[in-house]
Amino acid sequence: MPGSLDLETRKITRLALLGSDYRGVNPELLCQAGDEVRAGSAVMRDARRPAIQVVAPRSGIVSKVERGPRRKLVALHIDVDDSLVEREFTRPASQEKEAQREFMLKTGTWSSLRTRPFGNIPDPAAEPAALFITALDAEPLAPPPAPIIEAFAPEFSAAVNALACISSAPFYLCHAPDYKPAFDPASGAISQVFDGGSSAGLPGVHIQALCPIGFAGGEVWHIGYQEVIALGHLLLHGKPWLQRVISLGGEAVDNPRCLQVSVGAAIDDLLAGEICDGPLQLRAGSAIYGRPLDPGQAWLAAGQRQLTVTRRAADEAPAEDPGVGALIPGDWLEALAPPGVFPVPLLRALQLGDAERARELGALELVEEDLAALSSACVSNSDYGRLLRRVLDQLEAAR
Amino acid sequence: MSILNRTGDGRRRILKIQLLSLLPVTLAAIFNSGYQYLNGLAAGPGDDLRSQLAMGLASSLDDPGLYDYFAVGLSQLLPMLLLALLVGGVWERIIAERCHRPIEPGFVLIALLFTLLLPGAASFTHIIFGMTCAILLGKGIFGGDGKSFLSPALLGVAIVQVSFGGASGTHPLWNGVAGYAGSDAFALYHRGGEAALAQADINLWSAFFGAIPGPLGTTSLLAVALGAAVLLLTRVIAWRLLAAQVIGLIVIATLVNWMGAETGIGSMPAYWHLLLGSFAFGAVFLGCDPVASACTNPGRWIQGFLIAALVMLIRVANPIHPDAVIPALLLASILAPLIDHAVIAWSIKQRARRHV
Repeated sequence: MPGSLDLETRKITRLALLGSDYRGVNPELLCQAGDEVRAGSAVMRDARRPAIQVVAPRSGIVSKVERGPRRKLVALHIDVDDSLVEREFTRPASQEKEAQREFMLKTGTWSSLRTRPFGNIPDPAAEPAALFITALDAEPLAPPPAPIIEAFAPEFSAAVNALACISSAPFYLCHAPDYKPAFDPASGAISQVFDGGSSAGLPGVHIQALCPIGFAGGEVWHIGYQEVIALGHLLLHGKPWLQRVISLGGEAVDNPRCLQVSVGAAIDDLLAGEICDGPLQLRAGSAIYGRPLDPGQAWLAAGQRQLTVTRRAADEAPAEDPGVGALIPGDWLEALAPPGVFPVPLLRALQLGDAERARELGALELVEEDLAALSSACVSNSDYGRLLRRVLDQLEAAR
Repeated sequence: MSILNRTGDGRRRILKIQLLSLLPVTLAAIFNSGYQYLNGLAAGPGDDLRSQLAMGLASSLDDPGLYDYFAVGLSQLLPMLLLALLVGGVWERIIAERCHRPIEPGFVLIALLFTLLLPGAASFTHIIFGMTCAILLGKGIFGGDGKSFLSPALLGVAIVQVSFGGASGTHPLWNGVAGYAGSDAFALYHRGGEAALAQADINLWSAFFGAIPGPLGTTSLLAVALGAAVLLLTRVIAWRLLAAQVIGLIVIATLVNWMGAETGIGSMPAYWHLLLGSFAFGAVFLGCDPVASACTNPGRWIQGFLIAALVMLIRVANPIHPDAVIPALLLASILAPLIDHAVIAWSIKQRARRHV
């Protein structure tokens, strides 16, 4: 029975799909402001590869299309209206690779796959060198994956079977030592235990350990466990899973707990009546690897599982920008670096914009989240996530 | 971790931790220099500024108490430290104005480290010259704090030792004490072995607590260990680098002992190598300087063993530099980028083997 998870479901009235979540696609809108959309129906697709579609997470009415500089899509706003029924899908006709891929593309679940390097949505015709399911979450205050996967065990297992069909590459299921999700061994998935601190749940860590990316132009794909459940839900029930589980945590939250909410929910709606007064710091993600958010206009990003709200000392709130300074290569950076990466040489290469050196040091296995902890611990005030993306963009253009 | 995250200026926090870690050493330096000065005073005080200050502040010279040691030590250390701060501050101000950047408070740490590495007899000319070199050559021309590849204080002391023949640790330790020909404890051992130490009333415990003659801040292993604990707990310095230096020194000193030297430094056991001379101080506060050392973990092990090997090589083979810590650290600092380069090149090769 889907939704047997014993968690509070938060009603929301508005949500948004963020253009920044769909890296590597050039979104072409399939709807306009005022259109009715049904959950599961496509709202945008890639202009270059129209097979890649993004679907509405809930039924409702498109209220606004927000565009930024150079008409780049910032967000597609939807006012939720649950009187519209969600779209239904038929199961893929066969276990063939093409049929499974087409099903994922049609239902929009393809867009929850991500590549490394670069963190893009993979090309529908490409072949990965390996496929990873991230079935653990080691970050502080993260929602525990075990009860969620248990509640959706049939969906999870069905999706593992389906994902095994989309490529013939090694297929790893990464999980914590204390919980191994049940799946059909016939799928060929290889279960891998990851342990060791809050970085153990990062896909970058798994990829570095099992299938490091180097110079030959290969890429690996990864997908989060909740997106796997969403795929299984479509396979078993023919209807999209409307909710995701996120955790609301941090010292400034009155009642920290896990919630079921829609993809893209407005963060202000989620936090209403939940947090205490005073200057606060919002983070999408955990206190270590999370991305700081500006209060006000913020929405849950695709694949986001955590919202952390911490207090900020009043005098630090308007701290003047001290400017980018020298990197002090202290020992404290070592513990925060992704395994197998020399933090100081990599950070120096990123500061210099030395794409070649950064690639040699393993930048291709990383995306912004892997360096968030280093950015906040380094005294140079550099945003290494942004510097890494600059380098990755150069490397991607050169491919 | 919480002390080092971005809330607030992280560089200032690190500086505060480094200054805090030097507090025990500074206190030990004050008491010990007072103690050593008063011990050597039998021949009568001199008439330089530091001696006059000491005479004025001390209450009884014949039967000195804690206050007297403190006051006399302060009158030795404070004029040197103030002068070093003044010189460093003036140069820092000039550089900051020329480069249109704010004054970096790092010169305070440099001045303190520099002063603690000098003997009490260091002349004011040496301090002015050394601090000028430290700020200009060790920091200014590289662009400021954290951008150099050498520890500025180390560079300043090294230049003083090279430029002024008598300044490298063999010269008399106290200006104000006429006729006092004592030199630091390491040189004593160099000349006469354990017998000379016993004659100067130096045993393992007095060496551990730091009541031995030597450069101001480097005598007390206990104080250095307290400072190292602060730096290690806050992870400002890398434990691997420190461990490599200490292990390296113990291993190599034991090996040298085995090889069967009968007298001199070759027969000096490892614990005396740690207790005498400025190895402990140099290893913690200069060798482990995060900016001036290797920044990869394998590189840290290599650099640590290199420092230990160089110290032992110079101590055993070169009687001109009995202590040998300053030149060894300087050489190792200069080699650190090369070590890192080799480690990274090796790691890239390893990585290239197993990529997709």
